[in-house]
Amino acid sequence: MSRKQTPLRPYFEKMPEIGKELRDGEIRRSQANVDLVKEQEEILAKEVQRVKNSGIPAEKIHQRGGMTIYDRLDYLVDAGTWCPLHTLYNPQDNEEGCTGVVNGIGKIEGRWAVIIGFDNKVMAGAWIAGQAENILMVTDMAKRLNVPLVWLTNCSGVKLMEQETVYAGRRSSGAPFYRHADLNHLGIPILNGIYGTNPAGGGYQGISPTILLAHKDANIAVGGAGIVGGMNPKGYIDEEAAQALIDGTRNFKGKVPGRVETHFDQTAYFREVHDTEQGVLDGIKDYMRMMPAYDPTMFRVAEPAEPKLPVEDLNMLLPANQKRPYDAVQILARLTDNSEFMEYRPDYGREVFTGIAKIDGFPVAFIGNQQGVFPGYPEYAGGEYPGVGGKHYREGLIKQGEFVTLCGRDNLPIVWLQDTTGIDVGDLAEEAELLALGQSLVYSIEQTELSMMCIVLRKGTAAAHYIMCGPQANNNNAFTLGTPLTEIYVMHGETAAAASYARRLVKESEAGNDLAPTLEKMNQMIQDYQDKSRPAYCAKTGFVDEIVSLPELRKYIKAFTGANYQNPKSITPVHQMLLPRIIKG
Amino acid sequence: MPELLAPIAGNVWKVLVAVGDKVELDDELIILEALKMETPIYCDDGGTVSEVRVKEGDSVNEGDVLVVID
Repeated sequence: MSRKQTPLRPYFEKMPEIGKELRDGEIRRSQANVDLVKEQEEILAKEVQRVKNSGIPAEKIHQRGGMTIYDRLDYLVDAGTWCPLHTLYNPQDNEEGCTGVVNGIGKIEGRWAVIIGFDNKVMAGAWIAGQAENILMVTDMAKRLNVPLVWLTNCSGVKLMEQETVYAGRRSSGAPFYRHADLNHLGIPILNGIYGTNPAGGGYQGISPTILLAHKDANIAVGGAGIVGGMNPKGYIDEEAAQALIDGTRNFKGKVPGRVETHFDQTAYFREVHDTEQGVLDGIKDYMRMMPAYDPTMFRVAEPAEPKLPVEDLNMLLPANQKRPYDAVQILARLTDNSEFMEYRPDYGREVFTGIAKIDGFPVAFIGNQQGVFPGYPEYAGGEYPGVGGKHYREGLIKQGEFVTLCGRDNLPIVWLQDTTGIDVGDLAEEAELLALGQSLVYSIEQTELSMMCIVLRKGTAAAHYIMCGPQANNNNAFTLGTPLTEIYVMHGETAAAASYARRLVKESEAGNDLAPTLEKMNQMIQDYQDKSRPAYCAKTGFVDEIVSLPELRKYIKAFTGANYQNPKSITPVHQMLLPRIIKG
Repeated sequence: MPELLAPIAGNVWKVLVAVGDKVELDDELIILEALKMETPIYCDDGGTVSEVRVKEGDSVNEGDVLVVID
């Protein structure tokens, strides 16, 4: 009789359970918190709807017999797997209200892919401000996760009225073509479904991926047919030149270049041509089935299981009041399989927790800030002040660096749960080497080859936001999520106002002057910090890759985990892992 | 008579109950402020408030009795 099992079963099959059910009283008193979370969610939902309605109405596309980008994604992506990213991203605040691309991570035919498409409602998929950076974040994600990149190209090229915002520069709209070459070079395939007219930039967008599938009316070309006037030797347009332009345009009979007759029938760049828009998407699905992907059984250490404690509790557990502490383990217990967690060095560096959990049956590392007060800690403070949750001290920094290094050795992807107010400051902290230990953690992260995901649960503040694998960890951070309670800033507005105006207050006070004008400036500054750290602002500026409701976080963690284990570049045999043994002792 | 103690030293920021109030398990009775954080003091059993030994603005030490419940 043959027998089968998951590897290292004594360690992973049943791990220590964490968290506890909420009592009636806890639920009762948390309702106000739930209302505050919902209030933020409503603000965000309105913003998302505004972005989805950008450009011409979807009905117009439908009347022409076409599909919008949202229809295409809906048809292409496996039900229930779509995790949108960069929805509100619009760093240059352009008039379109979005960057003209829609992207995220999802499964196609059971395989994870990073997926991006031009919003064909917005200037027929033109290059607009902020778009290149959005695309670069997406190509970087495919590279980090080592999963296929799927493009739905429908790109009319540069928005000519604002060419200076997109055309030139190191990270401009031409950079993605190099990123596509980089992905191809690394063996990461890019599938491209091509629709509509794609001249110039759109042409390179069309040609640069690995596999090209076209709709029958699609074209890709070095340049479009619309440039009929050529250079005007006068350097300006007068009535005569305008009339020539009118005549030229009116009499122009040429067809757009780069049509299917050319790039399927003659050059054979297009692998397939389809009469329907759905046909192109079916073609992508066919190719996705050919993509390299291990069966999850290869890397699972247990059967997948939902958390024992409900994810909906998260809206009660994470306080909207940023001054309120909470039990971070209660949060973790709503994210991991079976609400289990194998903690690494729980008695050392108590301001952070580190350890291994299972997500969808795969082993995953978690690191996060604990909250509350820790009397008698850190030791180097000698009782002068107690440790507080969200701050980093010597032991916690050493523990994180150590744990990350071991995760690198064991090939464990890491999920960071940030809610941090910074690293301890002052002479005692400097003597305790916190400056170097912070950078040491950065080094530890960078020297791994691991993918990491960061969730800023509430606060991302000061250098602690960086060292806990914030989005600045360009080579490791696959993506960063915020929540409806996220605030990201260098320091709290009140602290910043005090730091900026304290000396001036002293001067004004000593001179016997009215303090009101200075106070007004300080309060303006506090308000400015408030306005520019809200979740929608964080998403718009790219501080985070998406704001996700608390109960939806696990879905993104599952996507991150599944993508990591789909086709890893490096494998640590589970039975050769060190961390579970170190934890057990 | 259960007594609710201050878990840390700090200032009393808010007193949410008065003598005679009926309280239940997990009700929030007092909010302390220390280290830029709010520390809520929850009722660990139901009953009636018989004494409130602090008022808003008071400084308290760790272990001080804040509220007594019958």
